[in-house]
Amino acid sequence: MALRNLRGRVAFVFTEVDFDVDQIVGVKNIKITDIEELAAAAMRAYDPDFRASVRPGDILVGAGNFGYGHPHYPPMRAMRHLGIAGVVAESFSPGYWRGEISMGFPQASCPGILGLVERWDEIEVDWDAAEVRNLTRGRSLPFEPLALADREMLDAGGLLPYLKRPVAGH
Amino acid sequence: MGHTIAEKILARVSGRESVKAGDEVMAKPDYVIAYDFPGYTDVYFEQMKTEFGIDRVAEPDRFAIFIDHMVPAASPKEEELHIGTRAWCAENGVALYERRGIGHQVATEVGYAVPGAFVVHFDGHVSQMGTFGTLAMGIRRNLLEAFVRERVSLKVPQTVRVNLEGTLPKGVMARDVFHHLVRIMGPASCRFQVLEIGGSGLAGISTEGLQVITGLAMFTGALTAIVNPEGERLAYALARAKKTLVPVSSDPDADYSKVWTIDVSALEPVVVVPPTPAGTRDLSEFVGLEVQAGYLGSCASGRLEDLRIAAEVLKGRTVKPGFQLNVVPTSQEIMAAAGREGLLSIFAEAGAFVSSPSCDYCFGRIATMTAGQRAVSTGTLNVRGRMGHPDSEIYLCNAATVAASAIEGMIADPRKYL
Repeated sequence: MALRNLRGRVAFVFTEVDFDVDQIVGVKNIKITDIEELAAAAMRAYDPDFRASVRPGDILVGAGNFGYGHPHYPPMRAMRHLGIAGVVAESFSPGYWRGEISMGFPQASCPGILGLVERWDEIEVDWDAAEVRNLTRGRSLPFEPLALADREMLDAGGLLPYLKRPVAGH
Repeated sequence: MGHTIAEKILARVSGRESVKAGDEVMAKPDYVIAYDFPGYTDVYFEQMKTEFGIDRVAEPDRFAIFIDHMVPAASPKEEELHIGTRAWCAENGVALYERRGIGHQVATEVGYAVPGAFVVHFDGHVSQMGTFGTLAMGIRRNLLEAFVRERVSLKVPQTVRVNLEGTLPKGVMARDVFHHLVRIMGPASCRFQVLEIGGSGLAGISTEGLQVITGLAMFTGALTAIVNPEGERLAYALARAKKTLVPVSSDPDADYSKVWTIDVSALEPVVVVPPTPAGTRDLSEFVGLEVQAGYLGSCASGRLEDLRIAAEVLKGRTVKPGFQLNVVPTSQEIMAAAGREGLLSIFAEAGAFVSSPSCDYCFGRIATMTAGQRAVSTGTLNVRGRMGHPDSEIYLCNAATVAASAIEGMIADPRKYL
């Protein structure tokens, strides 16, 4: 299975640098395991209508060093449950990046993304071209190509299926 | 162009003559280290069998497991986790270190910090083994790869070099140096890179101090931190090393993405204000702020030099009534040494609660704060809810500042007590 391009609307733009993703569900909700409950808590502090307005395939956009702090998995579990297909940010914090790639959740590091898109623009993340395209405004930017292992992990759908594949040659 | 110490280590463990930053390699860790924690080790143990059909790890000597969280257990469920861990280690012939202290420190004490070795863990604070020229990385859940395969996939990182210069003033500690680095270099300055510490200022920073700086490297965005193994640090590690490797160091003409030179001789004590480890500020701005709790311990701090300076501050004085001071030496070895030096009796006489080593104070499992409470802490992290209620606050600082604040019940400058 080839990694499919992401195509969807920008469901939210997190403009804060060093953004702590735990804030998406709120620290007091971080230990919730029930996915419906988590999804209900998600984005309340940012946009109470988020759940009603988001569509499957939508994409989040972030600023520099997205995921800094002590990122937990529940916020993005909730986002995936709401249909979010991936995150494009100016840059990522390594711990967050590694954690979400291992969940099979696509991330693209695209310097300049905040200037490329506005909320609800339709965008496409083209993995082979390593390019983010703003389909609404007709402009694009290159993103940093994925490491081979990261791409294979996304392609496989996460850490477990990746490790079940035969060892790739390097 | 020469090579960095990280490149040299990764070349060896990938079976290559040399590697450069950006190369993608399959690296065989010399050691695979973990502490037992729900969602991590219990899942690995289960998935090894059910998903991969692996009954036993192939080379048990490459693995080490630590029981340092949920120590002592506070519920049957926690004890069941430990029982599962003990059973897995026994079945696999894997070394288990239980109740010896915080694993990142104990791993060094028992000899896994082999200069020139490559170590993986799920927890990034293992980077502190870099003090001894060991390349130690936290790779989160990907640690499963090291349990089910011989090698882990890795992109060889670039290195940021930081040359420290000058000598720390009294009352200013390695802890302050690290948070100062975050302040001036930025919390994204070393993203996906190795933070290499060097320079003439190393002469004035103890081995323990370098464990602090390397152990917190993740808050600069670094994958790990490392120091060329030399002098006292090298002698310490070689005397305990589990195996013999030729120690390596960065070449003088190694290729760094950036070189910083930072003079520490004029540094002042700092605090890191909540809710982010990027919140470094001058201690002086916060002197007088009321605090109800103090934590002296963790894998970052809680070693002998921290205990000594805290004892110097507290000797003959008492903790303010109502203030909760928890002193938790990082390992049993450190606690025993502190006992021999008379430090533990100073803490007890001052009214501190002195605990055997445990990770549990650092993440609020015990000594849990409620809404509106505020702590000074040498723990690793100050994000919301880290030590209890999401509306409690953590001000990170050095060990002397924790001790001075415990006396006054408010954030205090320790230098007047030294």
